[in-house]
Amino acid sequence: MANLNIRSKQERTYQAIVIGSGISGSWAAKELCDLGVKTLMIERGRNVEHIKDYPTTNLLPYEFEHRGQIPQQIQDENPVISRCYAFREDAMHFFVKDTEHPYVQEKPFDWIRGYQVGGKSLLWARQVQRWSDFDFEGPARDGFAVDWPIRYKDIEKWYSHVEKFAGVSGNKDGLATLPDGEFLPGYELNVVEKYFAEQLKKNYGNDRHMISARCAHIHGNADYYAQQGRAMCQNRNLCQRGCPFGGYFSSNSSTIPWALKTGNLTMRPDAVVHSIIYDEEKGKATGVRIVDRLTKETEEFYADVIFLNAAALNSNLVLLNSTSNRFPNGLGNDNGLLGKYVAFHNYRAGVSAEYEGHAEYTTSGGRPTSGYFPRFRNVYKQETDFLRGYAAGFSAGRGVRTNTESVGMELKNNLLNPSEYGPWYVGSHMMGETIPKESNYVALDPNLKDEWGIPQLKISVDYDDNDEKMIKDYIEQMSEMFTKAGFTNIRTRDDKRAPGLDIHEMGGVRMGKDPKTSLLNANHQLHAVPNVYVTDGASMTSTSTQNPSLTYMAFAARAAHHAVAESKK
Amino acid sequence: MNRRHALRHIALISGGLALIPSCDFSKDDILAAYQNLKVTISQKALLGAISDTIIPAGEIKGALNLEVPDFILVMVNDCFTKENQDKFTAGLTAFPDYAQKTAGKKFESLTTKEKEELILNGTKLEGDDTPEGIEKGNIAYFLNSTKRFTIQGYMASEYIQTEIIPYSLIPGEYNGAVLITDLQKPRING
Repeated sequence: MANLNIRSKQERTYQAIVIGSGISGSWAAKELCDLGVKTLMIERGRNVEHIKDYPTTNLLPYEFEHRGQIPQQIQDENPVISRCYAFREDAMHFFVKDTEHPYVQEKPFDWIRGYQVGGKSLLWARQVQRWSDFDFEGPARDGFAVDWPIRYKDIEKWYSHVEKFAGVSGNKDGLATLPDGEFLPGYELNVVEKYFAEQLKKNYGNDRHMISARCAHIHGNADYYAQQGRAMCQNRNLCQRGCPFGGYFSSNSSTIPWALKTGNLTMRPDAVVHSIIYDEEKGKATGVRIVDRLTKETEEFYADVIFLNAAALNSNLVLLNSTSNRFPNGLGNDNGLLGKYVAFHNYRAGVSAEYEGHAEYTTSGGRPTSGYFPRFRNVYKQETDFLRGYAAGFSAGRGVRTNTESVGMELKNNLLNPSEYGPWYVGSHMMGETIPKESNYVALDPNLKDEWGIPQLKISVDYDDNDEKMIKDYIEQMSEMFTKAGFTNIRTRDDKRAPGLDIHEMGGVRMGKDPKTSLLNANHQLHAVPNVYVTDGASMTSTSTQNPSLTYMAFAARAAHHAVAESKK
Repeated sequence: MNRRHALRHIALISGGLALIPSCDFSKDDILAAYQNLKVTISQKALLGAISDTIIPAGEIKGALNLEVPDFILVMVNDCFTKENQDKFTAGLTAFPDYAQKTAGKKFESLTTKEKEELILNGTKLEGDDTPEGIEKGNIAYFLNSTKRFTIQGYMASEYIQTEIIPYSLIPGEYNGAVLITDLQKPRING
């Protein structure tokens, strides 16, 4: 028996373990495997294989029983996930339903999750804007959170590294606030979007820009991506179903199959992580304890280095639940700050309008992206009564107007022979930086556990006065920009959504220079347990305004190379 | 997705005796496929006649040819709140009497023009808190929902999206400045 156990332990021993298979985890695994590291990837959900497990990907609209709508009973039972824009009949199988994985909302928080191989990389909005030093220097300049231990120069080459492989389309815009990268040909702004960009230049000098947003879609260099088994984006805009072309970056289409091809990757889906095992004699982490999702049996895996990429809040949960004599309050949590300083992006407000100009034009075909406003508030100096600022999405489009007032043959003719175009419709939504605060936190619920015996996460995150001022400013500024551009019928909204629905929750395991005030060092290692790396949203010291996934990819790749270099010392 | 097919096979349960003993549905068989609605065969036939008035057959098929009434009932059964289901079925139940009172004839006996007028006027009825007003509100709600789902079910049908205005899964490269005068017909699918 003893021998069997030893062999069994050897069989469950790898050089590295990556917890999580989403965007950041799959990047860590891909880099480790490329560097020859025998890697185990642990995923709590089921396996989802590229193409094979995209059941709705080629369905036509009439093949959905409710034409995309989610039935009322499912909405009633799952109010949180039903508020997510992408939770529709075609992609509902990739989202966690409220009833499946309950959590505790000390304050309202819409926690949007995707528990499967690939995680939310199947579902993301694929927007990939780089950070600049205006972002990394924010906390130090404005006196909140702690100073980031890294700057743009530390991450620049890793942005390039991941952009090239993932496939990022964009234009060289030459903006200091939004550095250019390794771009495939960008997508075109339409005639009204271009008009608006020109109006901004005219009305605001060189202060405000609206560009075509960089997106993780293959729009050129097809031979290079064929090596990954991926093809050009076909502009289907059905991304959330999983793309049979691999036209956008997902773990499932790109990094995971690539890592598997090296022969160094072992996948272990259906494994809910209970905790990271800490060996007090060795003074380091030695493995990961899991509970099988289906059999509920406990199993342990071992490795020299552990990457924690469970998605921001679940990475917090894993560390909080990894207790030992040395770390009674969670792994690496000597200063009591684990789970605190959680932040997110403020998506509450939007402004829309109509435009009567350019009436002779419309658009044709499809594109996977739209316009983007880099932050223009408080960039070079503090100029408003709130800290930081917001980016914004922007797009213009034109619909066909059908008169449906009548019934009978007249209605039928109107429906089948649409002839009249409506005015151009323009719309924008804000993406505001929020300030991480100790009072915005996650913790383990002392009583409630999930089906696998793991404490439920308690979330206590809210807006503050800075966010309210920013919403007001966004609405004022965007309305002014719209007015100056000649847009009419301007409508503003603040939908008062709970935090979380932005799906950009971050922090709790923040990076910093000082172990007294942060959890991770400049290389994403836990200060107190350096063979544990956290390279997902949990590691974020501040949030800036950009969609964060690209930065997680770059962090994961950089940290993987660091771990391998350390192991060779 | 297979419910409409299943319907063809089993269609019915014997109506009402156990479920709703005091109701005159017992004379009419209730369709089992729409378990939240308790819709009878004759009510579904009426719904078919209304949807076919909203989008009639001609050279191009109409709502009834495309089984739009099934779609309407699926949507009301699955995607409406209980409260709205009740308003819808109350409106459907009240509609025959409304037709008789307003047009002086059964709905089925009206001319096409009269049917269209009855439906159009019905969609504009305004309700209030009196019993009569509530019924008016229900009829308007029923007719507006039926009209909306008739348009949706018809336009998003396989026939329309393959034979009349084909839907394209691959819409092609984006052109952000197309002169409308260069287009033959506005694109509305895909």
